[in-house]
Amino acid sequence: MRYLSTVIGGAVCGALCFGIWPEMWKSYGIMGGWLTAAIVISICWYMNHWLGLFWNQSGQIWVDQGWSVASAGVSWGLVRFNSHFAQALPVVGCCLVGGALAGYAAAYVKRNNPAFACPSKPTVPEAGPHV
Amino acid sequence: MYEFLSHYVSWLGMSPANVITTVFGSFCVTFVVIICWGRLVQDFGPIGGMMAAAFIIGTFWVLNHKLPGFGIHPEGIPHPDGGLKQFGLIYQGFRGASPWVDMGTAIGFGLWVTCLCESEKGQRCKSAIESLPRVGAAILGGIIGGAITGLVGWSGANLFGYR
Repeated sequence: MRYLSTVIGGAVCGALCFGIWPEMWKSYGIMGGWLTAAIVISICWYMNHWLGLFWNQSGQIWVDQGWSVASAGVSWGLVRFNSHFAQALPVVGCCLVGGALAGYAAAYVKRNNPAFACPSKPTVPEAGPHV
Repeated sequence: MYEFLSHYVSWLGMSPANVITTVFGSFCVTFVVIICWGRLVQDFGPIGGMMAAAFIIGTFWVLNHKLPGFGIHPEGIPHPDGGLKQFGLIYQGFRGASPWVDMGTAIGFGLWVTCLCESEKGQRCKSAIESLPRVGAAILGGIIGGAITGLVGWSGANLFGYR
């Protein structure tokens, strides 16, 4: 059942992004694109991640609606403009490389920056007498 | 250097300069989302998440996906070599002929990687396998929504001369 809600949330998010974003950009330019993020991504995030349509449990790997937006962009381009799927792969590869680098860097920063030490749970075990 | 950066690799569909900008643009947005989004939600609740959507995704949309023409050439500025000039950091391959690649790819994979780094050493393979069907469900939902949205190009309506 949680899978079904994930699929539905992803479908709504992808359809909203690619139904609205190009038209808003064409109508209002850069500000239209910014505004679309404010109105589309905010309500999609509220539905998918705050109310929890996407299946995420604490302690497990986070599944983001970014996956849905990514696959919606590719399938939208395939259907709407008759493009070729293989032509998207180099850019997808570059995006994955950049995302993986950023994920690793952010994990490193979160581990080592004192601003991210959560006060509610102990992150460092007590130092023993031998230290 | 100039020769190397501006050389258009036909089988890759982009030049080395585009590879650099794409990797850097996806790095920036993913890093800021991972670092700031959760903290904004902690500090402001759901309003913080909506603020994050506007400030992070909106601002990085301008950086990564903006297209030329603010009311001047809304259809884009044609390049002499074909296709449209692109100003966003995330390059749309084959001079824009490839299907749209969104920065959501980088964000989703970056969050996946950072959660993998944060999970415990012995549990990583298990949690990665556990997350795969959920990622697959998210991707399947996106495919359904995007493909159905793309169908409007085939609905046969010719309103006001728009294609």
